[in-house]
Parts: sequence; structure tokens; C-alpha cells
Amino acid sequence: MEHTSLLERILRGVALTLVVVFFMFPIAWIFMMSFQTNETILRIPPQLIFEPTLANYTALITGKLVTAAGTLDIAFMRNLWNSVFLSVTSVAVSLLLGVPAAYAFARHKFRGSEDIAFTLLSFKFAPALLVLLPLTLYFQKLGLANTYIGLIWVYQLICLPLILWIVRGYFEDIPADIEYAYRIGGHSWFATFRKIALPLAGPGIAAAGLLAFIFAWNNFVFALVLASADKQPVTVGALAFITSSGIQYGQISAAIVLSITPTLALALYAQRYLVEGLSLGAVKG
Amino acid sequence: MHEKEKDLIDAFLRGQVDRRGLIKGLGAVGLAAGTAGTLLNLGQTRALAADFDWKAHKGKTIKLLLNKHPYADAMIADLENFKQLTGMNVVYDVFPEDVYFDKVTAALSASSPEYDAFMTGAYMTWTYGPAGWITDLNEWIKDPAKTNPNYAWDDFLPGVKNSCAWNGKPGGALGSDDAKQWCIPWGFEQNNITYNKAMFDKAGVTIPGNMDEMVAAAAKLTKDVGGGVYGIGVRGSRSWATIHPGFLSAYANFDQKDLNVSADGKLSAAMNTAQSKAFHKQWVQMIQESGPKDWSTYTWYQVGTDLGAGASAMIFDADILGYFMNGGDNKMAGKLAFASFKANPAAKAPTPNIWIWSLAMSNFSKDKDATWYFMQWASGPEHGLFGATKMDFVNPVRQSVWKDEMFRDKLNKSYPGYVEMFDASAPGASIKFTAQPLFFDLTTEWAATLQKMVAKEVPVDEGLDKLAESIDGQLKEAGLG
Amino acid sequence: MTAATTQRAGPSGFRISKRVLPYVLSLPALLVCIGILIPFLTSVVYSFQRYRLSQPWARQFNWGDNYISFFTDPKFWNTLKVSLLYAGTTVVLELLLGLAIAMLLQKRSTLNNFISIMLLMPLMTAPALAALMWKLMTNPGFGVLSYLASLIGLQDFRWASSPSTALFTVVLVDIWVYTPFIMILLLAGLRSLPTQPFEAAALDGVPRSFVFFRITLPMLTPYILTATLFRLLDSIQQFDIIYAMTQGGPGDTLTVFQVEAYLNFFQSTNVGRSAALMIILWAITYFLSNIFIKNWLRLRERARGQA
Repeated sequence: MEHTSLLERILRGVALTLVVVFFMFPIAWIFMMSFQTNETILRIPPQLIFEPTLANYTALITGKLVTAAGTLDIAFMRNLWNSVFLSVTSVAVSLLLGVPAAYAFARHKFRGSEDIAFTLLSFKFAPALLVLLPLTLYFQKLGLANTYIGLIWVYQLICLPLILWIVRGYFEDIPADIEYAYRIGGHSWFATFRKIALPLAGPGIAAAGLLAFIFAWNNFVFALVLASADKQPVTVGALAFITSSGIQYGQISAAIVLSITPTLALALYAQRYLVEGLSLGAVKG
Repeated sequence: MHEKEKDLIDAFLRGQVDRRGLIKGLGAVGLAAGTAGTLLNLGQTRALAADFDWKAHKGKTIKLLLNKHPYADAMIADLENFKQLTGMNVVYDVFPEDVYFDKVTAALSASSPEYDAFMTGAYMTWTYGPAGWITDLNEWIKDPAKTNPNYAWDDFLPGVKNSCAWNGKPGGALGSDDAKQWCIPWGFEQNNITYNKAMFDKAGVTIPGNMDEMVAAAAKLTKDVGGGVYGIGVRGSRSWATIHPGFLSAYANFDQKDLNVSADGKLSAAMNTAQSKAFHKQWVQMIQESGPKDWSTYTWYQVGTDLGAGASAMIFDADILGYFMNGGDNKMAGKLAFASFKANPAAKAPTPNIWIWSLAMSNFSKDKDATWYFMQWASGPEHGLFGATKMDFVNPVRQSVWKDEMFRDKLNKSYPGYVEMFDASAPGASIKFTAQPLFFDLTTEWAATLQKMVAKEVPVDEGLDKLAESIDGQLKEAGLG
Repeated sequence: MTAATTQRAGPSGFRISKRVLPYVLSLPALLVCIGILIPFLTSVVYSFQRYRLSQPWARQFNWGDNYISFFTDPKFWNTLKVSLLYAGTTVVLELLLGLAIAMLLQKRSTLNNFISIMLLMPLMTAPALAALMWKLMTNPGFGVLSYLASLIGLQDFRWASSPSTALFTVVLVDIWVYTPFIMILLLAGLRSLPTQPFEAAALDGVPRSFVFFRITLPMLTPYILTATLFRLLDSIQQFDIIYAMTQGGPGDTLTVFQVEAYLNFFQSTNVGRSAALMIILWAITYFLSNIFIKNWLRLRERARGQA
């Protein structure tokens, strides 16, 4: 990359700008709409100039929506909390279960290992709709309907396959020699796993965890079908602003901004892991 | 509360003083009209209590499944009165409209005992009833021991009430003698015209009196209003919701039907008659010429948003959609007007198809008697009047509410033409579909066919023949044809 | 992770035999998931039944009838075609675009890192809400994208509402939402590649295209396969974006599997037919995944053989 010509650098800059514009423009537009009401959002043609208002955020955060028909209660912050809780716990459980399994598949070729791994992945291709009716029936019988535990369990369908397969790849990229050398030193497999494999695959685990977090965050079908209103995630909360007396675009935009914020904060925090990937080049060299 | 006020309210309830007298009298003792409303409901609460054992289910809790809707908001605002009246507790789950019926289907198909009563549309009961998820409410309505004497079941608009009653036989007439009352109407929507008066004046267009005039008026509005405004908003998404509003209302005005029911109860498609084809052609032409450009993605929300924001000059859709757009923070709030619409020049009166938000009782409810206590209160005349006058609980389903002066005044003041529109079309208002379990299959395919016609992918005649053929096949396969 | 106390697996210590260990490690994950197999099997049973919730009395086994009826139903073939077309188009485009962006951001710098995180924001927006916003932005009156399109001469571009551009529009939204997913996986992959081969190639003056096709791509393939696999599994099951933007229309333009199955289940309450559709979708994803996994394992083996 050191020998790039000026022309190439310009072309790269242009390309990157186009990419940023394409992906960020809708986000920027949503961000702007979150400071407007329908009155300025719905103009023909759309305009950039508006008088910003914090009304949408106030309504979402205080939980009071003042409309022509009176004051309505909205449970948005509750929804936000549900999303945080469900996503964090689901990913945590997935990591606890998935990382050891991923290690097993990466390091040990045992009988049926590929079959078990594939079975676990196959949960990723069961469409939610396929299992929805039986799942609600059985949850009802088991007393899992309308519980966080039931939801976290079902969320494993989203998180576990993702974590398992991505982390497995990272484990496999760690040269076995390093672990072998450590084990020759008289350390148990657990110590090796904990002291060598885990730290080396750390960035991969973080990346997989974050992606699983995002997918868990965006899912709402399971919660909608399996739980009552007080356990609904932020997506369902945002849909509440599509009302028969109109779509409150400003509030939905503010809801999107608020719902992106925790994930974005997490991603920025884990940035190093996310974009650094594996720094195994150094180890190998 | 002071004795004087109590006496006055009781006098009103006994019919000795009319509403104006009551308001005036209360004003004289220093109460604002707003407070009077709350007091009035309290007063009625006491009056009701005198004739009926409202406390029979004291201490019980029931749970409701509600759609995020002004009707639900109105009920929640008045709920404290019910709790006081009965000593019962009511909890509720409110879900966004976008996913509401998915939630209902999921809860009921799993036989979940969680919810005792829920909001539904009459069309949905054609699935829920035969599926065994909801209860025939006649058992309670007709039992004087369980229903309070003031409930006045006859007060409901007959067309609306009957549209919620079906004998469960595919093709069975709504409101027949052997019909089961699957749900109680709560609030309903007629499909008529809501228009932007200033735009009509600017383009020199008058309110259309039939389909030909509507097509012409919409075209003229599209041409002459300017600023990108189009003539007429109607729904167009690939859904049953595209068929049931303006489209079916006009279609029924030409005496056209969705299905034929033979003497032995067999169903067959009826939308490929010559007259139906002529009507479809006109409808398709109207959308192509003066409908929204991205009509095929239009649902309730887009049709309303465009009218409220001044992007369309009129809509042929639910009257309450126009009602909502005439308020709130909409740009055109206070600038909209209403008119009934009769598509067929030969027809005597408008025949709006209707959507009815109703209350149904879950068959899996653990205490149906207690649930009925809530349902009769929520659909009773007192709450109806409270909702209609104090909240946005329109259109009320009770004739007595429509006769209420305060309500009519409120409408006349801010919703020009609404009362006249209602009076003209309510007698002909009912569900115009044939009740049968394939309702959603049929209407979704119908909407998809309309989309193909508007996109000129298929000629109208051919499209309707194909549709009829496909519907007949599905009816046969389901054992109905 | 400082090694204050080092665990030693002494002869007296508890040792899990090497043969059992991998099972012990993978079993919990399997057990948690196995419960889901029961609903899955129940649905398989449903798919062999004539089962409409609205006609409970008519419920009975009809064995393969639900499946057989698909083969003569042009709507089913349309569903199959549209689903594969949608999945193919989105995955290929997102892969190309994701790879290109990852390469643009490959160099480690604060700005590149920041941009790569920012680009994840579409992925963080729930697809159902993203689609709602795109629907507004493509509205002919209020939509900023329609307005911008009209500025460059596309006066009458109909986005999701015209049969000729509906697929393009939903694919565009899908690309917007999911390209970042591929980008971030490939970026991690790119940055983890060993540097020696590239340094050697640069010293020898090997052409850049040769380096890309003969070194970068092969070394990146396992990452590409993982990203593609996950994207493909999601894309062929796409529902949120398509349903929120077009509900499967106009006409039958976008009646992909999930939209059809959703309508069959939630509106028609035709559980049997819906389940049969979903089983077919499941079989397709199973088949596709198998191909991917086989290749993935083969490449892994080869890579390890070289190492």
C-alpha cells in the first residue's frame, strides 16, 4: 500500500466518499427527521431547513405523548430496556455455550463433530415462522410463555450459530503449535484454552458477539409472539408510532436514533477488536 | 360532590332535564363543561349501580389485548369509572397496529388463557369463530341476569350489529336468525369522501355524485390544483385492506358481489360479470390518471398522510381517516370536509362497506361472566357518549349517541358535512363481503390482480376471468365451492 | 490474564479424557438447541396435514398433498424464482460491494476504523423500521430520494410501486442494510492476513491484479464463504424489508417464500400449506449450506496443510 500513486489515492478517496454518502445519507436524514414533526417532514418537495425541536425525544424519554386527543402513555424506555436486557443476556449465554463448542470443533476432530456442528448451524436456517405455532403451544404448556428465560432460550437460535461458526474460524487460525508448546510445559487443556486460545481469538469473539448482539437487537418476531406487552423490544416500541391517526415519522426517527445509540456505543468501544480482527500475523512471524 | 349537582345530574339521567339544561345548570353552580363530563359519567355510574348488581365480580382481574388506537385510548381514559363501578381490576396489553393481528392470531392459536377479551375486526371473526377461539355473545346479551337493563342492545345501528353476527356457515347471511354474535361493535368506519375544500374551489370542482363524476373530478384536480397534488387517494397495497374501503363500497353500489352463494350453499366467484368488468375499468383508469404515483404501496397510512399534508385533494376511504387528518398536527387540520358518495347513478343511496372495530371474548378466558361485565360497560351507552364527546371515539355504533346534540355540535363545528354524510350513508352501511373462511385469500388475490391491471400487466377483462378461475379453484379445494 | 496461579494437570488432578472432552464442550450448546427440534418436527407433521385453523373440523392427514399442489401451481414457481433471484442478487452485489469497501478501509488508520464503525449503522437499524424510512424517502411527494432522482432527470421513477423497479428497490434497501455485515467480516479477514506473501510479491514486482486474484482472494476465501453463507441464509428468508415496502406486490412481483408463508399462516391461517412452504425453504437452505460447508471445510483443510 505504500506505493500508491496520486491518481489511485484520489480514486480511492472518491470511492470511499461515495460509499460513505450512500450508507450514511439515510442515517443523516433520519437523524434530522428526529428533530422535526410531521409538519416539516411532510413537505413537497422535501426541504433541508427546519426549526429543530426536541419534542420527539422528550416524548420518548418521559413516556408522555401529547396529542390532539390528550396525553398518551408510551412505554418506549421500557422497550429499550427490554432490548438491552434480552440482547445482552442472549449473547452472554451464546458466548458461554458457543465458544467452548467452537473450540472443540476447531481443535478436535472427533466422531460426528462435523455433524454436530452442522446441526447447530442448521438452526440458523429454520425460518422463525416455521416453528412459531408449535413453539407458542409448547411454551404455553411449559410455562415459558411470557418469560424472559423463554425468550433468551429462543434467541439462541439467532445468536448461537453465528457465534459458533465465526469463532470456530478464528480458533482454527491459531496455529496449533502455540497451544501445543504451552501444553508441553505441563499445562492442562483448560489452562491452555484460557491462557492461549481465548486471548488469541479474543477479537474474533468480540466481533462475533457484536454481530450476534445486533441480530438479537433487531429481531422482534419471537418477543411479539411469545411475550406480553411489557417484554417487547424496541422495534415493537417504535412501531407503536404508526397509529391509525397517522405515522409519527419524527418519533419513529427519534426511536431509531435512540435504539442505534447503545449498539453504536458498544461498537465504538469494541472498535479495536472489531476492525483489527486477528493480529496473528505477528504471532506467525 | 355537592347535593345540588348530584340532583341535577340525576334529573338528567331520569330524562327530566336535557343535556343543554344540565350543562347550563352545572355552569350555574360553577362547573366547567369538561368537569361536567367526568361528573356525568360518575353520575351515570351511580345510576347504573342502582338497577344492576355491578359488584358481582368485585375483586376479579381481567386482561385485555388492545390495538394502539384512539378507541382504546378513549376506553383507557374512562377505565377508572369501570373500576369504581364494579370493584374489578382491568389490565391490558397494547400492541402497535402494524403487528396487532399477528399477536392476536398467535395468542389465540396457542389457546392462550392470558387474554379475556380483545379488539378485533368483524372480518377476522370469520376465522376466529369457526376456529373456536371466540364465544357467541348472545348467551350474555340475552340474559337479563348478566346484562344491565340500560344496555339497550337495540340501540346499536342494525347494519353494524348484524355485520358482526354470522351463523358460521360459509356464505351464510350476516345477521341471520341463527347467527352467532361473534363480537360487539365498538366503533366503525364508513367509506365516503373526505376532500380539501380549498383545492376543490381552486380547481372549480364540485363534490362528485357518481363514479363518472368522480373520475372526471379527480382528473381535473390532478390537472388544475398544481404543486404536485393529485386528485384522489385510495389504497393499493397487496392486501385485503385495498379491497374493503372505497373500492368495495362503490362496487356494491352497482349491486356487484364478491361471491355467489348457490341454493345448496356452494360458493363461486362473482367478480367477472360484465358490469364488474366495466366498474374495474373505470376504477383502474381513475388510479392511472389521478391516483397516487406509487399507489401499489398505499395503505391506510399513506392515503391519510397525503390528505393531511395536502398532497391529495380527496380520498375515497374511511370517514374516520378523514376525521383524524382534520385534527392533530396535520397541515390540513381544520381544512377538510366530508361528503357521502353514491357511485351508481341509478342507486337510491350510498352503500358503504364498513370496517368495525369490535370487542370479542376469548373462548379461553377463565371467567367469561366477569369479562362480559367489562364488555357491556365498554360497549354501553355511557362510555359511547363519553368517548364520542370527550375523545376521538368516532364513529359511535349507537343511535342514541348520534342523536346526542353535544356530539352533533362538536362534529358540525369542526368537521363540515360529517353529520350529513353519516345520516345519508348509515342506513345502507354494512359489510358487503360474503362471510367465509377464505376471505383473506380472496381479497389479497383480488388486490394483486388490481395491481397488475393498474400496472398494465394484464387487461381488466382477462385479469378478472383469471381471478375468478383461481378463486373458484381455491373454494373447491377448501370444500366450499 | 496474568498467570498468577498456573493450573497444572497433575496425575492426581481430575482429567477429562481427550476423547470425551470435545463432546463435553459442544454438548451444552447442542442441548440448548435440541429443544427447538421438537417444534420443528411438529411443523413437519403439520406440513403433511390439511390444516386450516378456520376449519378445524376438516383437519386430517393429506400426506403429500400440500407439496404436490405446489408443483402444479404457477404461483409457487414464481415464489421459488423470486426468492432465488432476490437472494442471488443481494448476496452477489453485497459481496462485491462489501469486499470493495473492506479493501478501501484495509489500511489501519483511525479514520478508516471510525468509518468502518459508522458504516455499521444501517445494520443496527431494525430492517422493518429501515424499510419504513425508505418508503418515506421514496415517496413521490415527500421523499427526498424521489426529489433527488427528479433532479437528475428521473421524474417518474416509481421505486417499489412499479413491477419493473420493485425488485431493484428492495434489493437496494437490502444492500444498504446488510452490506456492512459482509464488509466488517471481510475487513477483519483482510487485516488478519499474514503480510509476508504481499511483501514478497511487492519485492518481485508482481502485478496488483495477480496479487489480488492469486493471493488475496484465495487467502480470504474462508471468510468470504462464512459471510456469504450467513448472508445467503438470511437473504433467502427475507421478510421484513419486502413486506414493509411492498407486501409482496405489485401483483406477484415479490411474493418470496416468507411473504407467502406469512400470509398463509397469519391471514389465511392455512397452517398446513404455510408449514409445507417453510419446509421447502428449509430444504433449499439446507442444500445450499451443505455445499458451502463442504467447500469451507475443504479450504480449511488445504490452508492448514500449507501452514
